[in-house]
Amino acid sequence: MSLALSVGLLAAAGVYLVLQRGMIRIILGFVLLTHSVNLLIIAAGGAARRDAPFIGGDTSMAADPLPQAFVLTAIVIAFAITVVLATLAVVGSKDDDTEEESEKTELDIENTSSDAGGDK
Amino acid sequence: MTELLEVLLPLFVGAPLLLGGVLFVVGKNHPLQPILGMGTLLALLAGAVTLLIATSEGQLLAHQVALWPNGIAIAFVVDTFAALMLTAATIVAVVSFQYMLASGEARSPSIPALVLVLMGGVSGALLTADLFNLFVFIEVMLLPSYGLLIFLSRRGDMAASRLYVVVNLLASTIFLAGVGLIYAVQGTVNLGALAGTGDDPLTAIATALALSAIAVKASVFPVHGWLSRTYASASPAVAALFSGLHTKVAVYVVYRISAVIFEGDSAWMTAILVVASLTLVVGAMAALGEKDMRSLLLFQMVSGIGFILIGISLFTQTGIASGIFYMIHHMIVMGALLLTASAIEHTYGSGRLDRVAGLRTRESLVTAAFVIGSLSLVGLPPFSGFVAKYALVLASADAGVVVIAGLLIVVSLFVLMAMMKIWAEMFNGKRHADVEILAAQERIRTRQGLYDTDIIDEDEINEEANRAIEHIEPPRGIIGEIGDPHDHRGTRVRASLILPALILGGISVALGFGGEYLLQLADQASQGLMDTSDYVRAVIGR
Amino acid sequence: MTLSAILFSTMGLIAITMLATRFIGRNAGWLAATVLAFLAFSVVTRIPEIIEGTGSFSGLGVIEETTPWMPSLDISLGLRLDGLSALFLIIVLGVGALVMAYSARYMSERNVHPHTGYFAWMLLFAFAMTGLVLADDLILLFVFWELTTIASFFLINRSGDKASAPAVRTLLTTAMGGLALLFAVVLIVTRTGTTVVSEALVNDVWVEDQSFTASISVLVALAALTKSAQFPFHMWLPDAMVAPTPVSAYLHAAAMVKAGIYLLLLFSPALGGTLVWQSILITSGLITAVMGAIFAMRRFDLKEIMANSTISQLGLIVALIGVGTPSALATAALYTLAHALFKSSLFMVVGIIDRQAGTRDIRVLSGLWKTMPITLVTTVLAGLSMSGVFPMLGFISKEYLLGQMLGAGDSALIGVTLTAIAVFASSTTFAYTGRIILGAFTDYRGTNRDEHPEGHEMKEVVREAKPSFYGSALLPALIGLVLGPAIAVLYPLIGAAGSAAAGEIYKAKYALFGGFTIELALSTSIILLGLLAISQRRRLDNFFEGRILRFTAIEVVESIRLGAISIGERVGNPTRTDKPAQHLFAPWLIVGLVAVVGLLMAPSVGELVAPQEPWSDALWLGLLVVTVIPALITRSRLVALILVGGAGFIVALWFFALGAHDVGMTQLLVELLTVVALVLILRRLPSVFHTVGRSRQLLTGFLAVGVGVLATLVTFLFTGRREMSPVGQYFLDEAYNDTGGNNVVNTILVDYRALDTFGELTVIAVAGIVLIGILRSRFMLSEITPDMTKWSNSALARSVDNTLPVRMLARWAAPLIVLLSFHLFFRGHYEAGGGFIAALVGATGFGLAYLGASDDKKAPVAWPYRGLLASGVIVAVLSGIWGFAAGSFLKPIRFDIPLPWGGEYGFTSAMVFDLGVYLAVLAIIIALLNELGGVRQSEIEPISQAGPALIAESYHGLGDDPLVKDSVGATKATTPKKGGTK
Repeated sequence: MSLALSVGLLAAAGVYLVLQRGMIRIILGFVLLTHSVNLLIIAAGGAARRDAPFIGGDTSMAADPLPQAFVLTAIVIAFAITVVLATLAVVGSKDDDTEEESEKTELDIENTSSDAGGDK
Repeated sequence: MTELLEVLLPLFVGAPLLLGGVLFVVGKNHPLQPILGMGTLLALLAGAVTLLIATSEGQLLAHQVALWPNGIAIAFVVDTFAALMLTAATIVAVVSFQYMLASGEARSPSIPALVLVLMGGVSGALLTADLFNLFVFIEVMLLPSYGLLIFLSRRGDMAASRLYVVVNLLASTIFLAGVGLIYAVQGTVNLGALAGTGDDPLTAIATALALSAIAVKASVFPVHGWLSRTYASASPAVAALFSGLHTKVAVYVVYRISAVIFEGDSAWMTAILVVASLTLVVGAMAALGEKDMRSLLLFQMVSGIGFILIGISLFTQTGIASGIFYMIHHMIVMGALLLTASAIEHTYGSGRLDRVAGLRTRESLVTAAFVIGSLSLVGLPPFSGFVAKYALVLASADAGVVVIAGLLIVVSLFVLMAMMKIWAEMFNGKRHADVEILAAQERIRTRQGLYDTDIIDEDEINEEANRAIEHIEPPRGIIGEIGDPHDHRGTRVRASLILPALILGGISVALGFGGEYLLQLADQASQGLMDTSDYVRAVIGR
Repeated sequence: MTLSAILFSTMGLIAITMLATRFIGRNAGWLAATVLAFLAFSVVTRIPEIIEGTGSFSGLGVIEETTPWMPSLDISLGLRLDGLSALFLIIVLGVGALVMAYSARYMSERNVHPHTGYFAWMLLFAFAMTGLVLADDLILLFVFWELTTIASFFLINRSGDKASAPAVRTLLTTAMGGLALLFAVVLIVTRTGTTVVSEALVNDVWVEDQSFTASISVLVALAALTKSAQFPFHMWLPDAMVAPTPVSAYLHAAAMVKAGIYLLLLFSPALGGTLVWQSILITSGLITAVMGAIFAMRRFDLKEIMANSTISQLGLIVALIGVGTPSALATAALYTLAHALFKSSLFMVVGIIDRQAGTRDIRVLSGLWKTMPITLVTTVLAGLSMSGVFPMLGFISKEYLLGQMLGAGDSALIGVTLTAIAVFASSTTFAYTGRIILGAFTDYRGTNRDEHPEGHEMKEVVREAKPSFYGSALLPALIGLVLGPAIAVLYPLIGAAGSAAAGEIYKAKYALFGGFTIELALSTSIILLGLLAISQRRRLDNFFEGRILRFTAIEVVESIRLGAISIGERVGNPTRTDKPAQHLFAPWLIVGLVAVVGLLMAPSVGELVAPQEPWSDALWLGLLVVTVIPALITRSRLVALILVGGAGFIVALWFFALGAHDVGMTQLLVELLTVVALVLILRRLPSVFHTVGRSRQLLTGFLAVGVGVLATLVTFLFTGRREMSPVGQYFLDEAYNDTGGNNVVNTILVDYRALDTFGELTVIAVAGIVLIGILRSRFMLSEITPDMTKWSNSALARSVDNTLPVRMLARWAAPLIVLLSFHLFFRGHYEAGGGFIAALVGATGFGLAYLGASDDKKAPVAWPYRGLLASGVIVAVLSGIWGFAAGSFLKPIRFDIPLPWGGEYGFTSAMVFDLGVYLAVLAIIIALLNELGGVRQSEIEPISQAGPALIAESYHGLGDDPLVKDSVGATKATTPKKGGTK
């Protein structure tokens, strides 16, 4: 049940973030969504048998290796796309929240390169 | 012979990727770029045609990649349907790439390579009989697409590109979850092993979840909105390329899964029928409201997806056959129209209905391409669209859903209205002076590689415009036109730019007169989907 | 001549004439005319066969030819010549010949273009009509029907700039009819099971299923009425008057509008006599007859008068077809012929007057009777025939028309009413004929207001046209005169036509003078009334000045069109945005719907295999809660990132707990890299998230919870309820024997499902390429560097010193890390590890080196990662192709390599493949650090040197002037600045 709840929690959090303003939160949302799906796939193999699937020794309690292979592939692909998304977040301006909020976030390109102090 | 073909199936993925890799390494202006690019695509086309011939009588080619036992290995399978789709997709790719060569877009770094990788993904997605592998190849399709979309887009801002990536990422994630659930229930993701499992409720739900993710990629109502936004911001040539590949591969998956897993289970087919009808109506109506040639066409594309899905939802021999025929027709004609739009935008710098005008008296070739394309799209004889629409309407009526038959007919009137909107505003009328300014601006932009957010000096533009008016002589239109010869001076669409659209238009005409051949193939494909036993045998050998 | 020969020679004629125009210009018309005339004659020669031959209906002969076209859809090139099609074919070809000959003189001599297009479209029209009347295949019929629509559209559209709107309206109206026909065709085919017209029309279903017959009646009537410009679809015909006069002549006399009549007659055998059919045709027909006649009385442009006259005349024919008795149908056929003759003549006359006098406005024209006598004679002859005066052909047709009207209906009342209306329409016809003649040739102006239409001037000197010009107008008028007395020659043809339309044998017989009958009385009264109207014309003009209808049909059509467009805009609006949230919302609705509906319908699920779980699971869950929830709430981007990263690590722990060690490791490393990448990104963004409206938070929160609940349910119900899958068991049992590897997961990755991994590494490589490409072609937002001034003399500012420890660490650690990565790589096949993990580990070495660099530009890793990325793919494919040696792509090949220090290493080609993975992953990470690290910002230039760009405001929609300076100028000013590094 905890596994199912973890999947649910991650999914919910992911969806929430994905639907917020600005690319960063969308990206973080997708990261969480991916976690959720990956957990789900591992769960799909069944959580009853939890030994690592190595040969040599007894594999009677070894977990289903196939979902693990799936997830490995999925993680990598997700990572690749996340990288692209992350790059997109900081090029070309005109995103909803690429400027300090204090300045009107109306996509006025001139203010993008504000050298004003950031975090303080 | 067949055995050899079967063994070589993985090369439909391997070869484009290998050459793509090579093209990534060789320099941007290296002569190999266009040669290898076009060469590979043509080779791929030849291969696809070979497969089509080999399967035309309903035979199947199958190969267990790396020769692992059936059900363990990932199987590559080709039936008539897959071969047909592969051929059509490759044709669109070849022609679009030819356009990119003509427009110079293919000279930008990595573009040919990305196109090849994209095609590799397409082949994989069409050939594989393994759901997870399908997910992988969809991603292999998508990443080069991001590149093509972003590199060639002249939009100063990234909003549309971001939208494209996130929407597809979301769809992929949901699809993956669906696949995971299928594995959870059935313990396999092999399509052959999954055949007919749709009658198990849990499997059905899992599959439906996967399908709803695919629906996003196919731009089905209510998840259709992203398409016209994102494709409209890509380079028009890229939009043309995508139109033949992405949504169509998604539709292919819907066809395949509905047939193999659901085996036409009436409840799910009804669901598809409803969604499809909504899609084709919404698409056609929304198109009427657009003010830009390309976005208008893109909504027609959405509408077309609806038409195509009607075919599978009927799940009758003729229904599926006509659906497949419609899909091929739609790939060709959409390509033709979008490439026409490309030629116009590339030359005149805008696809806005209220900016470009008088093309009818300026551009006989472009006019020809557009007329063929739109008449075919509307479904008027003697073009492929007519055969497609008639077949589909007839099938619906035969299947007893006369309402749908009527709907299909009524909607095509709206399609006609929309195309007439383009015709009346862009092709009729004058305002050649303004158009000349636009064109001049575009030429300067292209020369200097500027984004739409950069501004050009007014005098420079006027100078450029006048130069065009002085130096470019009016050609004699193939169809003589009434009008003042002086309107004809100035910018012209280069023949090499409109040629691709005309080629596709020609295919549409050929499919209009010689529709019989495609009809028979579609019928063959339909049989393969109606009775999947051969397919299953080919995949898991029982 | 065979039917197909006739059909295809009309088609070939198009090409020939187009070619001819290149050399002899407008005179190509003569050529076309000759051919068409010959074809018409060849049809005439075949009439006897039709009469004597034995064929379908009751001894009436037909000539049939069929060649298959699309068997799959049962479409064939079925051609058929019976009395009906013969009559129409003669009209189509004959009038076609006349119009072509006429065009040879009407079209202007010196024009930039040699009228190629004009002749092409006109002859396409002739071809389409020929096909239409010959077609014996329902689909073929529809094909040619639409072909006429298309031809007419282009004929109208190409004639000048004012033509656009009318052309579009014409197309939309007629296309609508066409679609109705298509629907009818489909229904008939599905119902009768045949596509052959002559078979389908004699099917029993027409009698058995009244509702079916009725619905088909409506559809066919809709098609015909739109085509024949009958009320309420009459508007397009006068609208289409912008087209050159010969076009109108052909459209009105023989082609477009006659197609509708033909269709009605064709379907009469099946639909005739049914109430729906009759009521539609008679009502619409008579309304149109009267309306058209009255409109004709109010127009000043001769052409418009003619147009309305056509509508009115056709109205009478349509009503007559509605009556539907064999004799009525035969008379309709006769009337059609008569109308073809006089109307073609009249239109051509109008054209002649237009050319010779320079205008067609009766308010301007005057005194032509002196200068253009022959034209006058022609007009009078044709006019008399139109208004049904003895001894014209028109007289006979009209008289018999009245006779049929009288006999129509069961009660005398109906007959009388219909006749009354017909009489009124006819006498009005007589009146406007007078209006035409007097208006054109005398100084009668057709109005009492002495307004003068600007732009309409009569030439000073008006000459009679040359014989070569007026000849083609005079001829049909004379034929109309001759055929009256010589009506007998028409008996066979009209009889055959009538029989074909009636579906039963009918012998036609007409008398020029049939004794003193009611009909004669009616005709006389019509003439008298007409004369009265003409004599009282001044009063009538006053009466007709006022606007009769409050709106015009054109306005109606326009409003419908615009209405549709505005609806379209509303339909498109919801998705007309680039904001992701809008588009990311909808998918969840579908998914949710599917899940909810599915779960509600789902039956009970199987038992859990392991009902109770280890306590640690709850711990992982708890840890997730405490990391994820705050991540949603915090407004600091960095905090959110760290929390999400933390969640990632916990997920990794989950994986370890579930026995997925490789996955866990990979997860850890990927999480690390993701965080690094995002940190590099965050440098360029504000430190805090933007606020989100309360309502949006609630909505999204609600949706999120919903999805979460569903996800939990689905996971709980779907998973853990079956034993180990057979596939999974296979891997556990066979992996070692198959591949020699002990790490089952890794064997799956590089041996069993290498294709997946292959795709995965392609994705990685391309992602790298895309990443580089984006950063090369676009300007990154510049960093928002913390304001260091207040720290300027504190230790923080001295980056060189600050990074010293890390650099020391890197110097020692880097080699070790690289070694470790190699170790992981080679053992991958046997224990946890493999190309991917190895590469990640190796890359952390570079990560360390990067962090150690005292500033971005000194970051020491500048490898040709572009090439590395590609080589990853290449190596993988090549190893795959190597597999062919063992019989299949990616088939691993194994052999043992003796090691120098004894023993041997079990090598498999899968390792080469894994090397591809290693390279790609390593490369993308270096690329990531370098590119996002901001080393290269200085050398940014846009990639795409080609490809369309849209001028700035054409997307942003600022103002209408393509050169809005200030709005766009801003960007010009700043773009370079954004490029510059700091």
